[in-house]
Parts: sequence; C-alpha cells; structure tokens
Amino acid sequence: MLNRQRLFWHRDPYDLAGTDHLFLQAAADNCAWHIRRCPSYQTICRETGFSPESLQSIERLKDIPPLPTLFFKRHALFSMPQWRMPMKVTSSGTSGHFSQVGFDWGCLFAEIPMVLRLGFRHGLVSPKPANCVVLGYQPNRHNRTGVTRTMYGLTWFSPPLRRTYALRWRDGSYVPDLDGAAQALKRFSRSPFPTRIVGFPSYLWFGLRRMKEMGLAAALPPGSKILLAGGWKQHFAQEVEKSRLYTLAHEVLGISEDHIHEFFGAVEHPIFYNACSRHRFHIPIYARVLIRDVHTLEPLPMGQIGLVNLISPLINGTPVTSVITDDLGFLEPGEACGCGISSPTLTILGRVGLTDITTCAAGAAQLLGKEAGV
Amino acid sequence: MILASGTLLPDSHLPQLLSRLEQSLNETRGAPGLKVETVLDALDRLVCLLDAGALDGLIAQYAPSGAIEALDRARPLLTRDALEYKIHTELGPSGFSPRSRPFGHTQPMPLGVLLHVAPGNMPGLPVFSVVEGLLTGNINLLKLPRSDRGLSLAVLKQLVDTEPRLAPYIYAFDLPSGDAASLQALARLANGLAVWGGDEAVAACRGLAPPGCRLIEWGHRLSFAYLSGPPDPTELDDLARHIVHTGGLLCSSCQVIFLDTNSLQEAQAFCLEFLPRLERASAARSPGDAAQSALYAQEAFLEHIVDRAGTAGQFFRGAGCSITLGQDRELELSPLHGNVLVKCLPRTQLLPVLGRQTGRLQTAGLICPPEERGALTALLARAGVTRITRANHMSSSFSGEGHDGEYPLRRYLRMVDVEA
Repeated sequence: MLNRQRLFWHRDPYDLAGTDHLFLQAAADNCAWHIRRCPSYQTICRETGFSPESLQSIERLKDIPPLPTLFFKRHALFSMPQWRMPMKVTSSGTSGHFSQVGFDWGCLFAEIPMVLRLGFRHGLVSPKPANCVVLGYQPNRHNRTGVTRTMYGLTWFSPPLRRTYALRWRDGSYVPDLDGAAQALKRFSRSPFPTRIVGFPSYLWFGLRRMKEMGLAAALPPGSKILLAGGWKQHFAQEVEKSRLYTLAHEVLGISEDHIHEFFGAVEHPIFYNACSRHRFHIPIYARVLIRDVHTLEPLPMGQIGLVNLISPLINGTPVTSVITDDLGFLEPGEACGCGISSPTLTILGRVGLTDITTCAAGAAQLLGKEAGV
Repeated sequence: MILASGTLLPDSHLPQLLSRLEQSLNETRGAPGLKVETVLDALDRLVCLLDAGALDGLIAQYAPSGAIEALDRARPLLTRDALEYKIHTELGPSGFSPRSRPFGHTQPMPLGVLLHVAPGNMPGLPVFSVVEGLLTGNINLLKLPRSDRGLSLAVLKQLVDTEPRLAPYIYAFDLPSGDAASLQALARLANGLAVWGGDEAVAACRGLAPPGCRLIEWGHRLSFAYLSGPPDPTELDDLARHIVHTGGLLCSSCQVIFLDTNSLQEAQAFCLEFLPRLERASAARSPGDAAQSALYAQEAFLEHIVDRAGTAGQFFRGAGCSITLGQDRELELSPLHGNVLVKCLPRTQLLPVLGRQTGRLQTAGLICPPEERGALTALLARAGVTRITRANHMSSSFSGEGHDGEYPLRRYLRMVDVEA
C-alpha cells in the first residue's frame, strides 16, 4: 500500500513520465486489494482474464476492467467493512439512483498532499482570510454528495471568515436563495477582506445575471477569486459559452479571468483536476485517462473523441480503480496547450445519450464539428 | 413555468393560482362547452404551423435528438382526417352527437376536469394526452414530466394562441416532484386522472385520486418479438433496426426475442446470426447514442457475470450492442440501448408463460411463415397481447388503433341517459 502514498506524495504533480512506474505499482496493489476483498470485483477480473501482475507497462492499464458509473449506481460495492471507512460519499443522483463510494483512511491521507500541492501550484492557497459565498449546497449530515464535500473543502484554501450558501438547509429540505447570495456579495464588496465564490458554473451564471438585473454590480476586493466545481451539467438548456461567463464575472464583480479557477472530478474518481491558466485540465500524476471507442470500447489514440475512462489507485474502500464515465471527451498533448504544463489535457464535451438530452445534442454537434476539423 | 388561461406564469404564482382554480374551473364548466370542431380547427392550424417549421427552433433546443423524426411520425395522427377517423372508430358513427334510445336519448359528455400525469420518455406525449382530453371537451390540468424542459409548454401556448377559446381548457404545471401537496390539490379538483408511467407513478396516482375520480392508467408495457420457422433475413434486419432505433425505451420496444423452439443450440445459432445484424444497425447511430449503447453493453456484460453468476445463459458481445441468451422463459426488461434478450418459448408454452403478464403486454412483432401467421396471431391475442405487428412496425402508430387495448376517448367521456 505504500506505493499509493509514494505516488500521492510525489513532488511534481504533473510529472507523468517520471511516475509511470510508481503508478503501475500502485494500480496493481489497488487491484489486488479489491480482488482479495470484493467478491464481485474478483468475479469480474476472473471472467475478463485480468490479473494485476499483467500491469507491466503503462499501456496495460487498459486491461483493468473498466466499470461504468452506472454499475456503481446499481451495485453498492465495498472492499472493506463499513467501520473501517471514515466516510461514504454519494453522487448527486438526479435520476433517483446514485453511486456510493467508500473512502478509506489511506485515501484521505493520500488526498492531503494532492490537494495541497495542486492548491499551491494553481495559486489557490492564501493566508488572507476571506468571505465565502457558496453557490451550492449547505453541508448537513443528510447530504453525503461528493460535490457538497468538494465545495466545502474548497472554502478552506484561505481561512474562511463566514460562509453564505445559495442552497440553505431549512427544516429538512434545501431552499434556494440566490438573491441572498447576491446581496451577500454586494455586502462583501465593502469588506477589507477578499471574497471567495465557490459554486456550480450554472448557478454563478444565473447569480451574475440576477445581480445585473437587480443593479447589484460590485467590485470585490483585490485577491477575490471564483472557484467553479460540479461541472456544467446542471441547467444545460441554458448552457453558456465559458467566455461569456468570464466577461460577465468581470463586469458584475470585477473578477478577472485569471482569478477564476475550474475543477473537475467525480465521486467515483475524486482526483483534484485543476484548470490551467488556459482553462484546460491537465492530467495530474494521480490519474491516467484513456479515451475509448464509442462502439468497441477499445482505447483510442490521442486526439480522437470517445468515452472517458478515468483510472486512479486512490481508493481502497470501493473498486473504482478504472471507471468509464458517461462523458465524451478527448485528450491532447500537454505541450499544445502552451501554459507550460507538459501532461496531456482532457477536454469533456458533454454527457452521452438520452438521459441528458440537450448536452448530448450539444456534445454531438461539437463532436461533428471536431471530426470535420480533424 | 405554469400555463393558465393562455398565459405563461412563473412558478411563484402557483399558490395564488391554486387558491382560485376551483372557481375558474366552475366558470368554464358553466359555459356552453367546447365544440369538437373548434378543437379540430385549432389542431389543424397547429399542424400547419409545425409543418411551416414554426417550432423547429424550440424542438431542436429542448427535445432529444430523435424528436423531429418522432414528430414526423406523429404528425399524420394529428391531422383533421386522422382525428375524425379516431373519433369515428372510438365513438362510432354518431361521434359526440346524441344517440336516440327507446327511452329518449344518450348524450356523450366530458368527464369534466382531467388531470394528466404525463411521461418523460417520449417527447410530445404530454401534448397528445391533452389533445385527447380536449377532443372530448374536458378541461385539462397537465403535470409536466421533469424532463420536459419547456417543449410541451411551448406547443400548448402556441395552440391557445391560435385558438384563444381553448385557453380556459388548458392548464400546465411544472411541479417539482417533491411538491405532493400541490398535486394533491389538483387531484381533488379532477373528475378523471390519466396517468402515464411506471409502476411507481401509477401506484402514487392510485393514492392520489379521490374516490369517485376515474383513474385512467396508461402504465408501462412490455413488448417482444416472436419468431417461428426460418426467418426472412430482411425481417431480421428490420427487427435489429427497431431494437437499436427505439433503444428499448418505448412500451412497444422489443425487449425479448422469443424463439418458437425448445432447442438451446438453435437459439445459440440464432444469436450468432442476429448479432452481426444488430451490429450493422448499431453502426448507423450518432456517436452520442453509440456511446450510450456501448456503456449499456458493458453494463449488461458486467451484470451478466456478477448478478447472473451461477445461472446458465450466454452473453454475445457485439460492437455497441449485445445479446443475452437466457435459459428462462420470462418476458422482462432488456438491458436497453441496443442490448436485447433472446429466450426459447415454444408455442405450446406461450399462453401459460405470457398469461402471467396479461395487463403488462403490449406489442408482439411476429416473424413467421405466411401460412402460420393466422394461427400464431390468434394465439398471441389470446395470451393478452394488444398489438400484433410486423417486425419493422412494432413502434409505428397506426391511424385508428386503440391504446393498450382500449379506446381512450371513451374513457374520457361519460354517457348521460335522458328520458324523453
């Protein structure tokens, strides 16, 4: 198990080539752990002919059976008894089904250096206290969703003075209060301390438009930042170009583009992906990403569009070593980005299929454009 | 959003609207009533607008990829001819006119207020449900499905704009699923409750409808293909296209291909022959749909090895599709999205096996030699199936067909006997 910690405590978070060997060892350890302790996972590996010993080169990562996120929504799989897991986290499960992922102590211990290193690297950490506005859910013991946990966690990159939530927990349910959040932002603009807005991109978009309507435009103090997590999935009918969001943020709050940070992650793959200065997600050493063919699920070469397969040896509680999300995306060489980070970038185009209708259509439209351009 | 009396209102107006809804409904019911001609004229104009592309922008924005196609298929059903034919078929030659009786006459009358709890799996269905309610002169309260995203509202708004006399007969509500109290309030005002959806939705509505309120259930149905004798290859390709095209998501989508045999070897041979046809049909999809299918194929494969561990059966994996050969004979939901089940069901066993599911059966796509068609059709009809079609028409709509074995217009009416 030390291979996992060695990987997550590695000095350079984007040194993919230098950590391939360590990643393979940690992935092999992780698979072996799940095979020993999770009977369903053992069956899957046996039937697909996968054995951790075969992970001798980075190309072999494709052999780890990729489990669709849907599988975790239908099967609660754990590789350790409940009492050994400090927490269980769930996906938001808009359709009534949600994934459950068990977090072990080793995983929490490994997440610390990951989050700190990337936080420093991307300029998120500041000793100056900040007022926080969370455009998301207020945590409470009934809410175990990953995105709530992530947003709460993001408020700790600087000492939080106070937190205002756009979705407050009142008498057993969530009450939206976007106007309250907008008013708080106006108040915080007169504070000597910077403000940190953490939230869903779509809420930020609605919030900013609302503030504009209400004539609440305010210049937030220098050092204020916007941290966006949770994807662009919700309210996709109103999905906006990111550049329009940045323009609006500058117009309404005086926050410039370089103070807007975006994150990517999933409950089944809680790796802290940070957008670089050019708003692209470079793959950190804690994960490897494969893009798989939409018909055969075979891995595709760099640049081609397919299903996103996320691989990480982070978690021992649930066998999420290799998961296929229902996102379509593609990889590009890191050097092409120009921000200075050399690891490949992952671009997410949108969710597939009928369940998320509009994103599919939008994704497909982009996809067609992309294919035509290649 | 809410549509009430021809106006789109924000959701915040709901409490205010509910508090005076009963009064508004009574005012409408006190008026002379809706003429079927008015409805037919309005629908005619709506269809013209659709043809002219007036709503294409909205449809492209809100509806799933296949919606325009689905609309093209549904369009013939909304024409004046088709609707007049529907009224003629379901209500007989007298239509809505009084029928003379030895004691006087019988007058078909609307139930009054219909609450529609509409499904999310087929764009346009919420509107169609309301159209059936309008044709029968009812006031319609529509609870929109969560996935609707404004399409039904836009179409209904367009309809009342073309014919303002329909405005007091159409209300649509975008209630959050947690808002049971508002739904209850609507149900209390309803004389009939038309519910579309799965067992959960139907069970919930059974609890919702007050005694005396007619419950009209359009529950989820299961459909299958039945193959007997050496199949015609074109029909197999048609079936493969149907399976891929509907993704198994409709009540009329083939979930299981039943083979009229007891031999597992024959069934295996069929799977091997059918898989490449399914693959060819799958290859024609958009990348988004193909990806969805590939995910479901992987899911079906994993569930086959994890959940069905120990049971015999075989998994045939194709590119973006799969066939699971089951050893049992039950009709059940397939893994969907181009992933289908194959089972042996000799005709002697057909009635006892399917008989257990009567009330859940809908379409049987029958593939068999012409000389067998009559006998097998009769057998399937006796087993409880309500539609028997060719393989390529399993999900097609036929003008004049019933709905799950019933004539809906009759269910939205009551017959009033009047002594002379």
